Amino acid sequence: MKVAIIGGGTMGTVYGHNIAKMEGVRAAGVCDVNRAKAERLAQVCATNAYTSMDRLLAQEAPDVVCLCIPTFLHRSYFEQLAAAGKHVICEKPIALSLEDARSMIESSRKHQVRGFIGQVLRFFPNYADAAEKVRAGKIGKPGVAHFKRISAFPAGEGNWFRDREQSGGVILDLMIHDIDYARLLFGDVRSVYARLHHSRKPGAEMEYAQVTLKFRNNAIASLEGFWGYPGPFTTAFELAGDKGIIRLDSSQAHSLDIKTGQSGLTSQVQGQVQVPQSPMKHDPYFYEISHFLDCIREDKTPIVTMGDALHALSIALAAEHSARTGLPVEMEGEI
Amino acid sequence: MNEIKIGMISFAHMHAASYLRALARRNDVKVVGIADAAHDRVKPFLEHYGLAYYADYHDLLKQDVDAVIVCSENVHHAEITMAAARAKKHVLCEKPLGLSDDEMRQMIQACKANGVQLMTAFPCRFLTSVMEAKQAIDRGDLGEIVAMKGTNRGMMPGGWFIDKALSGGGAVLDHTVHVTDLMNWFSGSSPVEVFAHAETLFHDVDIDDAGMVHILYENGVFAVLDPSWSRNSAFPTWGDVTLEVVGTKGCLQIDAFAQKNEIFSTDRAKGEWSYWGDNMDDGLIDGFVEALRDGGAVPVTGMDGYRSARVALAAYRSAQSGRPVQLTEGR
Repeated sequence: MKVAIIGGGTMGTVYGHNIAKMEGVRAAGVCDVNRAKAERLAQVCATNAYTSMDRLLAQEAPDVVCLCIPTFLHRSYFEQLAAAGKHVICEKPIALSLEDARSMIESSRKHQVRGFIGQVLRFFPNYADAAEKVRAGKIGKPGVAHFKRISAFPAGEGNWFRDREQSGGVILDLMIHDIDYARLLFGDVRSVYARLHHSRKPGAEMEYAQVTLKFRNNAIASLEGFWGYPGPFTTAFELAGDKGIIRLDSSQAHSLDIKTGQSGLTSQVQGQVQVPQSPMKHDPYFYEISHFLDCIREDKTPIVTMGDALHALSIALAAEHSARTGLPVEMEGEI
Repeated sequence: MNEIKIGMISFAHMHAASYLRALARRNDVKVVGIADAAHDRVKPFLEHYGLAYYADYHDLLKQDVDAVIVCSENVHHAEITMAAARAKKHVLCEKPLGLSDDEMRQMIQACKANGVQLMTAFPCRFLTSVMEAKQAIDRGDLGEIVAMKGTNRGMMPGGWFIDKALSGGGAVLDHTVHVTDLMNWFSGSSPVEVFAHAETLFHDVDIDDAGMVHILYENGVFAVLDPSWSRNSAFPTWGDVTLEVVGTKGCLQIDAFAQKNEIFSTDRAKGEWSYWGDNMDDGLIDGFVEALRDGGAVPVTGMDGYRSARVALAAYRSAQSGRPVQLTEGR
C-alpha cells in the first residue's frame, strides 16, 4: 500500500516515523510548502519530497494520502484528494464548520473513497483500557466525569494555531479529543455549557476553557483544555459511577524516568506542538494509522468514523457558542 | 479576656468532635458544656472531657460563656445563631451558614446588632497549602487570575444530611460551600452568576448527590466545581479538596490531602490513605479563639458564609431552570 503525507510539521513527522515502521506499507512521497520540512520528512520515511501536491499525486500515485495540514485547509485538500480517487486519513478536528465537515463526508461518498479523521485518543492504550472497563460495567451507571488536557501554546507553520480562524482554538483543536472520548463512553450529549478565556497578548498568550457536558443518560462531564500551561503536557481523567471510579493522571504514569546530570537536563521545548510520549513499542498513532489502513484493505468500518468526528465538532462548536453567549446550548438529535 | 469560655451547641454535625478536641488542646479556653437534645451522641464527649450537659441550648446560653460553636443540622443554624446573638455570645457556625439568603442576612444582622462576632466554619481556609497559595496569589506570582477549577468530592454521609427537611439540600449544598469560599477568597471578587447541574446519580437517595457548579465573578474570573458525593466504599479515603488556579503568568494546583501515606493492610480489603498533613480544624479553632481573645476580627466572617452558601442555593435554582442565575443584590 502506498501512503503519501501532506504536511511536514509535527504531526506529519509522527505519521512519517510510524509509516516507515509498518509492514506492507510504503511511503509514497511527502509534501510541504516549506521545502526544508518536506526534505526532512522524506528522509524520515525514505521517500521523495514535494512542494506541490499535484506533482506528488502524478509521480507517486499513492493509494492513501494523510493530511497533516492546518485545520482551515482540511476541506479543500480532502475534497481534491477524494475527487482524485484517493483514500484520505485527515488529522483532527475534521473541519472548522459543520458545513465543511458535512461536505467532506459527502465528497468521500460521492467519489467512493474512504475517509478517516485522526481522533487518536481512542487508540491510546490508557484511554482504550478505561473505555473497555466502563463497557464491562466497572463503574456501574456513569455519574460524574472529569477530563483534563493541558499543554504549552502550540506553534505551527506561520503560527496558524494562534489564529482562531485557522485552528478554531483550544476547544476545537485540543479538547475535541476528550469530547470525542466522552461521547464514546457516555453517548449522546443533551446540553453544553462553556467558559473560555483567550488572549494573544505577547508573553501571556493562552487559551483556557471549561466545558460541562450533560449527556442523555444523565451523566455529567467537566472538561478542561489549556493552551499556554507552563508545565509539561498533561492529561487526566476520572470516571465516577454508582459502582466504581476509574482515574488516570499522565503525570503519575511514568514507567521510565531518566535524569542525567551536568548540563544534560532537558525540558519540553516550548513552542512546538507537544505530542504525548510514552515508552511503549508503538505510539497510539501507529495503531490508529494501521487500523485505518486495515479498514481500507478489508473494507471495514473504523472504530471512529467521520460521523463521530462530525459529532465531536458539533459539540465543540456548541461549546464555543455557549462561551460567547454565556448560555447553555441544547443539542439536537440530528446534526 | 484571659480565658475564653466556650459552649458547644449540638453534635449533629460530627465536625463538633474535632472542634472540641481542638479547643481542649488550648490552655486559654474553657469549654463550659455541651447542649444537645440527643444525650446519647454527646455522652462519650461529656465523659471524656468532664463537661456539663444541657438538654436545651437556651440553658447553655444562660451560662457565663463568651462564645458558642453551633454544629446542629443545617435547618437550625439560623434559630440557634440568632438566639446566641441575643444572649450576647459570639458564634462559630458550621457551614452552610443558612438555607436562604434572607435567613443568613438576619443571622449576620442579629450578631451585628448585639455586638458579637459571627464566624463561618470554613476549615479549608486554614490548610497550610491553601494559605501558601493565597500568599502566592496576593504576591502576584500568577499574574491576574483567569479561572479556577475545584473539587470537593466525598462519600455520601447519610443520616440527616439526606433528609432535606433538616439539611436543606444534598451534595451541592454540602460540598459547594467549602471550595466556593476558597474561590471567593482567592478571586478577591464576588460571584455574579451561577450555572449548575444537580442530580441524583450515585446513590438510592431522595436528594441530590451529584452536581457541577459554574461560577462567574464580577471581575470576569470564571470557575467550576464538582461537589458530588461520588466516593465509594472502595476508594482509599473519604474524599478530596482540590483547586487549580490559572493565571496570566502562572498556575497553581492544590491537592489538600495529598500529604498521605498509602496503607495496604489485610485488615481492610482495600488500600487506604493516611493523611499526615497539618490539621485544618486546629487552625480554624485557633483563628476563632485568638480573634476573641485579642479583640480582633474573626478570620472568616458570616458574610463569607453567606457569599458562599448563596452560590449553592443559586445552583439549585439554576439546575431547576436549566439557565444561569444572576446574583446581583446583597453582595
